[in-house]
Amino acid sequence: MASISLKNVSVSFPIYGAGSASLKKTLAASVTGGRFGKETGVTVVQALSGLNLELKSGDRLGLVGHNGAGKSTLLRTLAGVYEPSAGEFTRQGSVASLIDPALGIEMDATGIENIMLRGLVMGMSMKEIERLTPEICEFSGLGEYVNMPVRTYSTGMMMRLAFSISTSVEADILLMDEWLSVGDAAFTEKAEKRMRDVVSKSGILVLASHSPELIAKECNRVIHMEHGRIVES
Amino acid sequence: MSQVHSNLHRSPLADWWEGTRRTDIWWTLAWFDIVLRYRRSMLGPLWLTLSMGVMIGGMGPLYASLFGTHLDKFFPHLALGVIFWGTFSAVVTDACNAFVGSSNYLKQGYFPISLFVWRGLARNLIQFLHQIVLYIPVAIWAGVTLSWSVLLIIPAFAILIINAHALGLLLGLICTRYRDVTQIITSLMQMLMFLTPVFWLPENLPSRAKYVLWNPFAQMLDLLRTPLMGGVAHLHSWIGIAVWTVLCVSIASVLFVKYRRRVVYWL
Repeated sequence: MASISLKNVSVSFPIYGAGSASLKKTLAASVTGGRFGKETGVTVVQALSGLNLELKSGDRLGLVGHNGAGKSTLLRTLAGVYEPSAGEFTRQGSVASLIDPALGIEMDATGIENIMLRGLVMGMSMKEIERLTPEICEFSGLGEYVNMPVRTYSTGMMMRLAFSISTSVEADILLMDEWLSVGDAAFTEKAEKRMRDVVSKSGILVLASHSPELIAKECNRVIHMEHGRIVES
Repeated sequence: MSQVHSNLHRSPLADWWEGTRRTDIWWTLAWFDIVLRYRRSMLGPLWLTLSMGVMIGGMGPLYASLFGTHLDKFFPHLALGVIFWGTFSAVVTDACNAFVGSSNYLKQGYFPISLFVWRGLARNLIQFLHQIVLYIPVAIWAGVTLSWSVLLIIPAFAILIINAHALGLLLGLICTRYRDVTQIITSLMQMLMFLTPVFWLPENLPSRAKYVLWNPFAQMLDLLRTPLMGGVAHLHSWIGIAVWTVLCVSIASVLFVKYRRRVVYWL
C-alpha cells in the first residue's frame, strides 16, 4: 500500500557562493579586523515551509503555482533527494521519478547502454534489465537509434528514452514535472495511457504543471503553492 | 515490493551498507566512466600506461646516474613509485569530486552516498590494473626475486582500499561544501609527490631529514612497493599507517554520520 505523509515539513537551502561564502572572503574578513563570520552569514532560501500533506493509494495530486513556488522542491523532497530540514516525512512504496528526465543520461553512451545504466541506478538487477530492454526500446519508438550515442538524439528523442525507462518498472508512486513536454502528439498519447495504467494500479501520482487543463484532466486533488506554502487545497 | 522510506528510520551504518552492497551499480558506473572516456580513442586506457611507460623509461637511466645508483636497483623502484603515486593522486583528486561529479544522480532521487565513493575508487582500480602491467617487464629485466614476503601486499592493499574509501567520504563531503579545498588538495598532492620517495631513494636521505618518511603517502608506498621488490616494509610504516587509518576512518565516520543527507543541499 503506497502512502506519503508530510508533517510540518520545511526545506531550506543555504546558498553558498552568492557573494559571501568563499574561503578567501572568510579569511580576508578575519585578517582585516572584521569579526570572523560576520560577513559570511549565509543566505538561506526557504523553499518549503511547514507543509502538511497526506496521500494514499489512488490519489492523483496536481501541484500548481508560479515559478519558484516550491513545486519542484516538493517533488524532490518526495523523491528523497532532500531530507527535510525540519518536520517528519514518511513514504511507503517504490518511486519512479520523472522530475528531470534528462538528468542521469550519459550523452556518450548509446540508448541501450543508457537503459542499462539507468535501470541499475533505479535498483533493477541485470536480469530484469535484460528482460525489459526490448519492451523499453519498443515503447520509446526509437528504432535503430537505440544503438546510437544519445548525443546524436534530439531533445524529444532523449525525453522519449528517459520516459520509457523510468516508467518501465512498476512503481507505486510516480512523481512528474511537466510531463507532457515529452514528445510529439503520437508519443504523448502513448505516454498518457501509460501514466494512467501506472496510476490505476493503486498508485499515487504527483504532478506539477502550469497547465490547468492537464491538471483538471489527470488529477483528483489539487494544491496551490505560493512561496513554499500550500495556500489552497 | 513495498518499502518504507523515511528520514528517521535509517541508521548511518545501514545507509553506508546500502551503497556498498550494490557492487553491480558502482562497478558498472565505474566501468562506463572508463569506457565512455576513451570510446573514441583506439588504445583507450592504455594511453595512460603508454605515457607512464615513456616517463619511466626516460627518467630511469637519467636519475640512476644522477643519484649514482645501479639501474637494475633503481628501475623497479622508480617504476613502482610512479605507478603507485599515479593511483594515489588519482584517488585523492577523484575523492574531491566524488559527489560533485555525481550530482546528476544525487539530484534525481535518494542515493546512499557511499555508492559514489566506491564508484570513483573502482574507476581508479581499473586504471591501476592497466598500469601495473608495466612493472612486469621492468622486474624481469632487473631480475627482481620475490620471496614469501610478497604476500604482505594483500593486507597492504586492503589498507589502501580502506583509506581510499574513508578519504573519499571525507574529502568528498568537505570539497562539496567548500569548493576551494579541491584546489588546495590538488596543489598539496603535487608538493607531496616530491616529499615522498617516488623518484628518490629513501637511503639517500640524510638522517636529520628522515622525518619526511613519516608522511602517510611515503609509508603507504613503502608497504606496497617493498614486497613487490622482494623486500620487507619497515615496521614504522605499518605502525604509522595503522594510526593514520584509525584517524582517517574516525573523521570520515563523524562527517558521514552528520552530513550524509546534507550533501545534496550543497551541490
